[in-house]
Amino acid sequence: MSALLQIEDLRVTFNTRYGPVTALDSVSLSVNAGETLGVVGESGCGKSITALSVMGLIPSPPGKIAGGAIRLAGEDLTQASEARMRALRGAEMAMIFQEPMTSLNPVFTVGDQIAEAIMLHQKVSADQAFRDAVALLDRVGIPSPDRRARDYPHQLSGGMRQRVMIAMAVSCRPKVLIADEPTTALDVTVQAQIFDLLNEIQRDFGAAIILITHDMGAISEMADRVAVMYAGRVIEQGRADDVLDLPQHPYTRGLISCIPALGKGEDTLREIPGVVPPLHMLGAGCAFADRCAYRAPRCDSEKPQLQAHGHHPVACHAVEEGRI
Amino acid sequence: MTEATTFKAESPAREAWRMFRRNIPAVAGVIMLTGIVLATLWGTFFYDGNPYEIVWAPHEPPGVTPEFPLGTDYLGRDIFAGLIAGGGPTLAVGAAAAAITMVIGVSLGALAGFYGGWVDNLLMRITEFFQVLPTLLFAMVLVTLFSPTLFTIAMAIGVVSWPQTARLTRAEVMKIKELEYVTAARAIGARNRRIIWTVILPNAAPPLIVSATLTIGVAILFEAGLSFLGLGDPNTMSWGLMIGSNRAYILDAWWPVTFPGLAIFLTVFSVSLIGDGLNDAFNPKLRER
Amino acid sequence: MTPSYLLRRLFYGLLLMLGVVVLNFLLIRLAPGDPAVVIAGEMGGADEALLAAIRADYGLDKPVLTQLGIYIGNVLQGDLGQSFFFNQPVATLIGDRIGPTILLVLCAQVLSILLGVFLGVIAARKPNGVLSGFVSVFATIGYAVPVFWTGIMLIILFASVFPIFPVEGMQSVRLRDAGFMIRALDVAHHLVLPAFTLALIYLAQYARLSRASMLEVLGSDYIRTARAKGASERSVLFKHALRNASLPILTVAGLQFGNLISGALLVETVFNWPGMGRLAFDSILRRDYPTIMGVLFFASAMVVVANLLTDLSYRLADPRLRGKS
Repeated sequence: MSALLQIEDLRVTFNTRYGPVTALDSVSLSVNAGETLGVVGESGCGKSITALSVMGLIPSPPGKIAGGAIRLAGEDLTQASEARMRALRGAEMAMIFQEPMTSLNPVFTVGDQIAEAIMLHQKVSADQAFRDAVALLDRVGIPSPDRRARDYPHQLSGGMRQRVMIAMAVSCRPKVLIADEPTTALDVTVQAQIFDLLNEIQRDFGAAIILITHDMGAISEMADRVAVMYAGRVIEQGRADDVLDLPQHPYTRGLISCIPALGKGEDTLREIPGVVPPLHMLGAGCAFADRCAYRAPRCDSEKPQLQAHGHHPVACHAVEEGRI
Repeated sequence: MTEATTFKAESPAREAWRMFRRNIPAVAGVIMLTGIVLATLWGTFFYDGNPYEIVWAPHEPPGVTPEFPLGTDYLGRDIFAGLIAGGGPTLAVGAAAAAITMVIGVSLGALAGFYGGWVDNLLMRITEFFQVLPTLLFAMVLVTLFSPTLFTIAMAIGVVSWPQTARLTRAEVMKIKELEYVTAARAIGARNRRIIWTVILPNAAPPLIVSATLTIGVAILFEAGLSFLGLGDPNTMSWGLMIGSNRAYILDAWWPVTFPGLAIFLTVFSVSLIGDGLNDAFNPKLRER
Repeated sequence: MTPSYLLRRLFYGLLLMLGVVVLNFLLIRLAPGDPAVVIAGEMGGADEALLAAIRADYGLDKPVLTQLGIYIGNVLQGDLGQSFFFNQPVATLIGDRIGPTILLVLCAQVLSILLGVFLGVIAARKPNGVLSGFVSVFATIGYAVPVFWTGIMLIILFASVFPIFPVEGMQSVRLRDAGFMIRALDVAHHLVLPAFTLALIYLAQYARLSRASMLEVLGSDYIRTARAKGASERSVLFKHALRNASLPILTVAGLQFGNLISGALLVETVFNWPGMGRLAFDSILRRDYPTIMGVLFFASAMVVVANLLTDLSYRLADPRLRGKS
């Protein structure tokens, strides 16, 4: 049986003033019902573009899906009409965004905003939708939900707002829930609460979750499987335990060694030297080559492909050649 | 990232000028405005046609008699001569009024923005008060009370138009005041007046230049409105006056009001094209959106 | 919206009006010549008895501050003085003419905001599309055209080429005794050209402003959220985006009101609309200062009221401002 959501060879291009650039290049991912897929990488590596592609929310123009398929329960979303996508969005798949502070409309009450999501996809009265919204606010752990539903976003804290976003996202019991850096803007204790909430929600609703993050800690806590992305490509993929314990790609190793290990007496935060190259400056070779300690001439001329190696697939010439 | 990218440093003014030059509507505006100014200068100093003189039969349509290409008005006066002679006062009053507006607006706005506190409070209350008075009506009252001459008209337009400039200047100054180079200037012991003149205002210049340009356009329209109502300087020809005095006969002859109106429109239009062009040139980011 | 805030705003508005009264008083005294002669205007120049009456009425032989007190007291009692040209109290003169002006100004304001915002919103859907270009060009043209000239051009067009709208006045003489509905329709018919003329300039500006404002709002995160919910494009534009984009439009609408009244002055003159603008024009030509000052007072009062309403609607539109002061 094929997965609930299957992304196959997805290619997304953007028209920029430097000419067309490839934001996603042959990205293949899949996630099953009740499973959590973590997608990691630094900012600008294509995680959010992947999520927006699934939702059909790539700003177009300048962006467009240039190839590949996104199958939700067998239906190819890249071929779906805009009307069909509208019917799916919010109902079958929903998204939680990175910025709870700005992702809610400031001029409507949070209750109305959740009720709107319900009414867009279910035939219920406005009163019923609002009562459902209150129940959802209660479900995501907002105290005195009756009163809070009548509040405007600016009257709530960041953590509260993210709970509202989650309530809105799960209001129609979507099959796929995409969480794009849901905790980045929140402080650490609130982060843990939000992750707990997502786990509970998943148990209750059986949704597939795609968790997009740059935080390896979050991955180890939440994800069943993980895909590491770099400059628009998936460079390593596998079960979360495998990838975390036995990372193969130099980039993944870098990311993991950046997690500050408590109690090991390290007082400096390590980081991978250099930055993700701008997409318009990608050459013919491996995009990570500039920052890689294992760089060889082949890395500058040929893009490594994702292929099975050891426990799980990885895209690296050095790993393939056994140099690591 | 194998090749190093080098950026040639360019002063903001030069960069703005480069952007401006490539902006076709703005350049068209400059050309149009230059043409109008040259024509009025020529009219003021060299053209010997008398706009007041009755030279032909009244309401001669344009294009019939070669000597009077734009026809004649209800008295039989040459419309072309009127356009050429009326441009000077219209433009002069517009420019002078804009200058007065900018002087009052920038001074008060800079004081309010820089000193804050009670100075700001007082000046802003005054500004709000002036914004309550309908501009044209207030200017009409001023002009009538102090008898219309080119100077009082420019003065009146300036006195009623400054509040917007003051608000803009205040906002800019308040923004710039917080920046590091102002703190740096303070640290080396510069006095307030010096900081305002040498540090803050030059940095606030781009939006103020744009605003000054647009103010010229508004002032020209203002002058035209006043002369249309018959409140212009009775001793000078102006475009607004031509429209006003021929207004009663529009159903007999369209041309005596149409051409002066076109002249006003083209002048203000070219000024605002230049203003928009300057705005784009100073804020290149706005355009890329 | 707290009552105390409302009271404070009202008080401030009254203070501004008091300022206008003081300004009127000062203007008469700053004018060159004997204030009594100034007040009497062209009609009273020779008549010593009239001048004496004016001096007594305004207390011109008393100290300046007392004179100011008398003037303010008169205004508070609704006495804006006597027009010696029209030979009527100024308050009556204005009372007869303020209705048509309010009608004209409000129609123009509503027309320009509705049409302008609609154009701007549609244009914002395609920032580089044809309509966007049209809105920019149209806005620049609208800004540059003298409003009285637009009116005259429309009169020429509709008087001789398409005679479907009346080009002068507010009512047809032959319908003066008709029923209310007929007369109302007649006024509306007369209103078309003046209101459209006045609306045209601001329409262009609102279109440009709302386009820019919409473009900014459409890029924000909560619009993406609305789309992610499955909201339709129309709901995204007109419900989610426009409500937010309307905030700067409201601000400008309030600030424009004074300019709108100035424009109405010219438009009324062009179309012979029997409002305060005509009155101002006539009284200025006759140097009838009490009337001019009365018009200035009432026109300012309209702006104060408009600003107050703008402020209140701003608070209604933006929940972040409610409860704050």
